[in-house]
Amino acid sequence: MLFLFGSAIVWLVIGTALAFIASLKFHAPGFLADSPIWTYGRVYAARTDALLYGFAIQAALGVSLWLLCRLGRTTLTDPRVCLTAAAIWNFGVMVGIGGILGGDSTGYEAFEMPRYAAPVLFVAYLVIAVCAIITFHKREERALYPSQWFILGGVFWFAWIFSTASALLLCSPVRGVLQSTISWWFAHNLETIVLGFAGLASISYFISKLLERPLHSSYLAMLGFWGLTLFGSWGGIPQGAPLPAWIISLSVVGTVMSAVPILAIMTNFCQTARKDLNALDNNAILRFSYVALIFWFIASVQKIIGALPKVSTLTDYTYFGVAQKELALFGFFAMAMFGAIYYIAPQLVGHEFPCDKSPKIHFWFTFIGVTISYLALVISGIGQGIILSDPKNPFVAALKASMLGVRVRTLGDLLILLGQLALLLNFLGLVAQGCCKAFCGKQKEVRK
Amino acid sequence: MNFGPFIFVGLFFTMSLSWLGFVLGPQLQLGSLTQTATVPGGETYPNSRPGLARKGAEIYRANGCAACHTQQVRPRELGSDLDRPLWGIRRSVAHDYVFDEPVMLGSTRIGPDLANVALRLDPNTMVHLYAPRAIEPNSVMPPYRFLFQKRKIAREPSADALKLPEKFAPEAGYEIVPTSDARALVGYLSSLRQTGIIFETPMPQPKIKQPQAAVAPAEANPGTPAPAK
Repeated sequence: MLFLFGSAIVWLVIGTALAFIASLKFHAPGFLADSPIWTYGRVYAARTDALLYGFAIQAALGVSLWLLCRLGRTTLTDPRVCLTAAAIWNFGVMVGIGGILGGDSTGYEAFEMPRYAAPVLFVAYLVIAVCAIITFHKREERALYPSQWFILGGVFWFAWIFSTASALLLCSPVRGVLQSTISWWFAHNLETIVLGFAGLASISYFISKLLERPLHSSYLAMLGFWGLTLFGSWGGIPQGAPLPAWIISLSVVGTVMSAVPILAIMTNFCQTARKDLNALDNNAILRFSYVALIFWFIASVQKIIGALPKVSTLTDYTYFGVAQKELALFGFFAMAMFGAIYYIAPQLVGHEFPCDKSPKIHFWFTFIGVTISYLALVISGIGQGIILSDPKNPFVAALKASMLGVRVRTLGDLLILLGQLALLLNFLGLVAQGCCKAFCGKQKEVRK
Repeated sequence: MNFGPFIFVGLFFTMSLSWLGFVLGPQLQLGSLTQTATVPGGETYPNSRPGLARKGAEIYRANGCAACHTQQVRPRELGSDLDRPLWGIRRSVAHDYVFDEPVMLGSTRIGPDLANVALRLDPNTMVHLYAPRAIEPNSVMPPYRFLFQKRKIAREPSADALKLPEKFAPEAGYEIVPTSDARALVGYLSSLRQTGIIFETPMPQPKIKQPQAAVAPAEANPGTPAPAK
């Protein structure tokens, strides 16, 4: 698990650095433009996949495995097999990112890693997923907690969507616009179900654990879980897509209906945490979880609003959608994972993080970076939409109007990158001290 | 909800609904889509791209052009796409993409939509790729200088040499010529048009210029391309 976290954090730094470079190119398009490797299209695709596959999936797996062990009161089955699989996953991601920068991108959003990386990734993932299922099966504590439902859902669903996308887009490509349908379906489910469930599993556990009280209602939790698996998995198709109307309608209906489970989950958490907002002051991990939850709610509500026909006419293909995806990834998922990592990693190493200030720096830099970036992009996106809705306005007018937002977004990207560097250094320090401890036998008391 | 297999069955069922709706269903309807005939006229549509254009599609894919450009025109009721000059005469439909692999519809318009860019191309296209800010000073499009070659002028300048404004021109005695990759990319862009009127696309709306003039339905062929805005 520590290896998964460590590699996730390294890829996080690589991904956010690539994001910052891509962002800078808006202000100086000639920056690093002489080499095809660093052209914007390749850097942006590499950034997306480094963050999704390098950071997000690994962090999700690490936290999920730990939660399965902790909630099931058991140990991980075959840790060495998992470790090997994780190393193979990392190798696959390296090959994939190298392929993208080298020009072998597949052309599908959120699935750009070339065909030769896909089988490596899939096999590695399958091994870890099977380890997770076996760990779940041999649990001592038979009663299940909502986090475990979410984990099972996310682990199972990623195997399904990834194999479908690989088979139907890479191995034996489907015809024409079906490729886009599957690509959109994959990207939507990756964000909403796979990463969404991993984040919610983490938040469910830590809010309950750190407030020392169970979730308010198991019925709301069940409604939220089943509602999201049913409706949350329908979505992602833009309004004006060149597809039969029923597919687009299915996507819109699913997205709008997912308001019910989203409200159920949010109500459940709000009732659980009702009187304990001052706990935030003392507990950094709780802060990460609360903020992640609020951003999840905002990102989900934005997705629903953006799916409504009148709104999407204005906001489709603008920064509005970009803002939503980034909030879901950084504001919600990453923050949820950070809270979990700050709790779990010391337990695995047997040692506290070396620096006390670093989690605060990490939190505030990420939080401020995400917030200003998000607000800038949402406002720019709406502005773009308004300007472009009048065909008399030349296209470049929308571009000029959005430049201020893009500048703020670049600043946000820089803050996010710096925050992640703080995490990386702190984590390296933790691992180094853990290694020292193993050799020298020194120990700090672990706060339980 | 404590029984693992029950949860697994529930997950399988709910998630298979999504798979049925977005993977199998569309495949059954669109999976065997092939060439169709224009209405009227009966010409084959779409035509597969010629070799140079197909190579250009690979360049487009490799350099991630879909990160900033879409290739889908929305219907009139869902956006102002069709009201923009030379963005298209009709909305995009599934038939338009039958021969493309990968289909790069894009999801963000940092740059204009390219579904019908062939209608807007002009001799400046090569210059636009080499130095976008030579054509549009506010452009954020990256310069694709690596698709071009800077070489010493031989006895006389090459016919293909780019005519660049002073700010972007190379030093005296040198010229910028497109490589085969640049030619392929422009070939691909020149093949991007969705102008065949087929069964599932409504006829273009007549444009009423003067109230007293006779109203004629718009031509299927929009005529010579104008410079890109």
